[in-house]
Amino acid sequence: MFDWLKPNDVLWLIPAAPLLACLWIVVVGHVVRRQYAHRPVVVAIAISTALSYHLLLNVVPTGFVERDHGAHAETAAAHEHAEHVDSDTPADAEHPDVPEAHTHAADASGPTAISTTLYEWIRIGSEASPTLSIPVKLRADAMTALMLVMVTTVSLLVAVFASGYMKGDPGYPRFFASIALFVFSMCMLVLAGNFLLMFVFWEAVGLCSYLLIGFWFKKPSAAAAAKKAFVVNRIGDFGFILGVFLIWVTFDTLDFDVLFANPLAIRAIVSQQPEIFTFICMLLFVGAIGKSAQFPLHVWLPDAMEGPTPVSALIHAATMVTAGVYLVARCTPFFILAPKAQMFVAGIGAVTALIAAITALTQYDLKRVLAYSTVSQLGYMFMALGAAGAGTNLATLAVTFAMFHMFTHAFFKAVLFLSAGSVMHSMGDVIDMRRFSGLRSVLPITHITFLAGALALAGFPLLSGFWSKDEILSIVFEATKGTQLHSIKVMFPFTNYHWVIEFTTGTYYTLILGVGLLASLMTAFYTFRAYFMTFWGEQKFPEEAGHHPHDAPPAMAIPLLILGVAALIVGGIAGPTHLYGNYLAQTPGLPAGDHLQPNMLMMGISSVLAILGIGLAYVCYVATPAIARDMKSSMSPLHAFSQSGLMLDYLYLRFVVLPLRLLAQIAEFFDRWVIDVIVDCFGFVPGLFGAILRPIHSGYVQNYAMVMLIGLVVCLVSVLRVLAGTL
Amino acid sequence: MPSLLVIMIFLPAVAAVMLLLLDAKAPPVRARWTALLATLATFVVSLGVASQFLAVDRTTSVSVNPVHPVMELKHTWLNLVPATPEAPGISLEFSLGLDGISLSLVLLTTLLTISAVMVSWTAISERSAEFYACLLILESGLIGVFCAFDLVLFYVFFEFTLIPLFFLVGIWGGPLRRYAAGKFFIYTLAGSVITLLGLIWLVVETYQMGLKTHEPLETPLSIPAISGLLMTNALSTETQVAIFLMIAAGFMVKVPLFPFHTWLPLAHVEAPTAGSVLLAGVLLKLGSYGFLRLCLPILPHACLNVGLPLVGALSVIGIVYGSMCALAQNDIKKLVAYSSVAHLGFCMLGLFALNNEGVSGGVLQMINHGLSTGALFCIVGMFYERYHTRELSQLGGLASRLPLLGVAMVFTSFASIGLPGLNGFVGEMLALIGMFKRDPILAVIGASGVVLGAWYLLGVLQKAFFGPLQEPHHHGHEPIVDLNAREVLTLAPLLAACLWLGLFPQPVLDLIRPDVESLTKMYGDVKAMKGAKAQVTQLPVSLTELASATPVSETITNLQKLATPEAPKSEVRP
Repeated sequence: MFDWLKPNDVLWLIPAAPLLACLWIVVVGHVVRRQYAHRPVVVAIAISTALSYHLLLNVVPTGFVERDHGAHAETAAAHEHAEHVDSDTPADAEHPDVPEAHTHAADASGPTAISTTLYEWIRIGSEASPTLSIPVKLRADAMTALMLVMVTTVSLLVAVFASGYMKGDPGYPRFFASIALFVFSMCMLVLAGNFLLMFVFWEAVGLCSYLLIGFWFKKPSAAAAAKKAFVVNRIGDFGFILGVFLIWVTFDTLDFDVLFANPLAIRAIVSQQPEIFTFICMLLFVGAIGKSAQFPLHVWLPDAMEGPTPVSALIHAATMVTAGVYLVARCTPFFILAPKAQMFVAGIGAVTALIAAITALTQYDLKRVLAYSTVSQLGYMFMALGAAGAGTNLATLAVTFAMFHMFTHAFFKAVLFLSAGSVMHSMGDVIDMRRFSGLRSVLPITHITFLAGALALAGFPLLSGFWSKDEILSIVFEATKGTQLHSIKVMFPFTNYHWVIEFTTGTYYTLILGVGLLASLMTAFYTFRAYFMTFWGEQKFPEEAGHHPHDAPPAMAIPLLILGVAALIVGGIAGPTHLYGNYLAQTPGLPAGDHLQPNMLMMGISSVLAILGIGLAYVCYVATPAIARDMKSSMSPLHAFSQSGLMLDYLYLRFVVLPLRLLAQIAEFFDRWVIDVIVDCFGFVPGLFGAILRPIHSGYVQNYAMVMLIGLVVCLVSVLRVLAGTL
Repeated sequence: MPSLLVIMIFLPAVAAVMLLLLDAKAPPVRARWTALLATLATFVVSLGVASQFLAVDRTTSVSVNPVHPVMELKHTWLNLVPATPEAPGISLEFSLGLDGISLSLVLLTTLLTISAVMVSWTAISERSAEFYACLLILESGLIGVFCAFDLVLFYVFFEFTLIPLFFLVGIWGGPLRRYAAGKFFIYTLAGSVITLLGLIWLVVETYQMGLKTHEPLETPLSIPAISGLLMTNALSTETQVAIFLMIAAGFMVKVPLFPFHTWLPLAHVEAPTAGSVLLAGVLLKLGSYGFLRLCLPILPHACLNVGLPLVGALSVIGIVYGSMCALAQNDIKKLVAYSSVAHLGFCMLGLFALNNEGVSGGVLQMINHGLSTGALFCIVGMFYERYHTRELSQLGGLASRLPLLGVAMVFTSFASIGLPGLNGFVGEMLALIGMFKRDPILAVIGASGVVLGAWYLLGVLQKAFFGPLQEPHHHGHEPIVDLNAREVLTLAPLLAACLWLGLFPQPVLDLIRPDVESLTKMYGDVKAMKGAKAQVTQLPVSLTELASATPVSETITNLQKLATPEAPKSEVRP
């Protein structure tokens, strides 16, 4: 029976509501009442949001916090035992009765997931024993619930904002249909119960991103950015799908419940094929690199700002781009077995955080500053995820902190983008910060909300970003205590010469910590550079704005204010109280770990860095603007380097796109002038025979008569000879 | 009352003959309505056939024979040695039949032909009676190939399809139509002649094998009989390889695989839209269907030892090379033609994975490619009709002038790119996952085609459909308008089928499953990657059981036993 109170009975409704809204607009809303197309979408997302909160409260047994400690002890015991199995398997097999009690106990009281299967999508083989079975299975656990709450809440607020922002656009229904499709796909992505279904919606959110970046498709830049986003994402997806193939070939199943339910079973495989998880995790991470815009595939995200600003806020800051973080977090049971892959994750995260922060320092386009800051913050999240490479005991904390930063980031980045959208709205779609300034008094609401977001992003003490970023820095700090020795051999091809680089885990993570601290200084600086350039200084509007720019109308102001408040306090509520961490620990498959004591050193340093960054920005852009000008002119090559995004787009064009285009031209030339010519040559062979025989058929009767005569004579002679022989 | 199968095959041909004999000078209106009615009727009949087919209980007929058609119809053609009470005779028979694979391709054909007739509605105004007659005869031939279950009939229909298409390209084609039609005809015919020789050799070898094993074939031309005999008494590997190479020659040209593909872009560019739709949609499938029907079940050793590396490598090259060529095209029709080379590469990669996933994927890919590429050619035809150009450099921003066409193009492009939820993904994914199991390297290279595919097709969208409006100077008198009702009706069934197959591929998979399984059974299943084979194949059993009934503790005990190298295998499966 259908029961409204049982979460797995209503699970399907969370994605179904926005899907229905999307279909409604495509079929009906596109034609009638076009200017009200936002209504079904907002209602549908509101339903999803309500159900997500319902799920959040019900998916995990009530009172989990109290029970948490009891369960911890047991799971920790099981976990310790698991490590033991790994190191000393044969011994354990002789005493199988010892672990049984522990594991069983842990399993019985341990976290659970609920799931519901809608229908069988693909099945190869008989129903009883399929070789490949991909049901459309929705599965929810603590991690899913947290993601859903974040996704639907931000979506709802952005959809309300967009109903004001997009007013009067000729593509109004198309915009909301795409948004609804996106919310559906994103909910399905986090609800997916197996890897292939996750991949399906991984691509589906990519499609929505394509459609929305190219929303104003008449703009050539938007059309180009949409294509770039999709193709670059496809490179990541290529890695992801290969990872999925490898998982299937290794385990014969893609189902999360089967794969993640039992870490011991996974460990059994790892003892047979020690490197398999490194391969799987690397391939999956390639997918995350694409979707979450990490170096070297991050180049699509800044261009994606061609889309309408609500899209930038929703898809390209708060939700879709965090799918990669979710993927890696979801696959934690795999990643803890692949420390090398985790170190790689951390390294990529650090490189990305640094590169993006450097680029953000000099951008003049307000949205691009925010886009690069998104890339940089995503880098932070991967840094945290990768920190577990120093030891499996850090794994759960790493996931918690990365997910928590994602959670707070969703709110403060959404409010920053929406405020930027509000600025654009009043400035007549101008977003270049050199063309406006001093908007404080003109746009008071936007000013306040932007300031709230900026403070949170910069990591101002006791605001959201401070808590989550501090946690990331402290886990990386923990990771620097690792002592394992690694060596990388750099071979030079065609010679015997090689370098061996040796380092310990500690050194590696110390480097990453340094990068993290540096990037956090830069974050504060560039965020407030943008803030001061936009809202301080002399009042200046571009001519597109008209004479009296107006602040956000209520439809835009209300979501802005809600998000602004959330950006300030959500971190403080859920972070230091361990509310988020304890809840997330209820996810099945996450190994148990201890709480990390607040790291006062990191807190102190990051507070100082945040305030220092803000102060520097104030000095450079408000107090004495001459400093910024002087620095720019004295370091113009560096400035240009940073402004062009470290010339990465140029390098890609030069070393990837153009060579491939050249190769395509060569292939086409080869096809036309080599293969086809050979084919035509064969075609000449019969003609050649004909040409040899042609002179005989001259058409002159006397020639034919001559030949006939010769033939007759030859025949006669031979007949005569035969006759002569018989006589 | 002849069976529905016969009606389905010959209904279009009869309609065509009547059109030619009774009404050769028919005005276009009458000709196209006649053709439309005939194709619709054929489609309805094919649905009837499908319902009859589904009524047959095939669970009992899953025999050891890898080819087992149902609804068989036999007609003795030559009675060489009459049957006596003591000994069975020898006779050459025509036999028609259907299995799941051929039924799905027949349905594809009857569906696509309707769209082909409708897309020619206004484009063909000269000698329209002859045009539609050719189209209908082509449909008959195509259905015939899929229903033929003996070698002679198969080959006759296979070759027969060339004739109407030759005329379609040669009479109603573009400026280079004569060259294109001649090249297409001679190239594919030359390949097929080698195939014919291979088939004759196959029959001779099989017959002798039958004599040797004292199970002489009563009907030496019947494909099920041949495959059934060779199933138990395989030919020597050398003979198999030689026959395989000869038979494959014609099919490789037809598919087309990499170095034999150059007739395809030319033929596509010159063919009228309807010709392109059927050429890409169905005719190319004759090649892959030929492999599936004649090579895979009959010559297993050759397929595994020569076919897999050879066809696998050529397909992979075709995927990458075809995509690169597509990337360099300026003519959209040629671009789509090259994309066909890449897509058929996925299909062949799936078929030669020789396992359930791969072959199912390959068959699905045949259907999917027919639908999405057929629709793409229809769309290209539609804007060619409006602008009289297909050059990318001359077009821009069409989506703002022709929004419906733009939506259709975006939809079809994504279906072709393999976006999950649309049909292309299921086929490509299954083909690649099957190949990944068989040979990961080939699968990895093949999968890179997915990225390139997105690049060139989205490039078309970006240049021709997005951006500022740029229209070529057109000479027509009427203003450029969006799709009319007829054009929407042309595309709608194809796009709906794309969506349906993307969301619910299982009915088709169930339809072809008995045939695919009986085919792949003879190849066994090569498990997992190299090394650590035995252990990995054992584990999943326990893992899957973990989710269901077995108590956790017990399973873990088993797993731990398993993890020890000495654990005897008998203990692994509880």
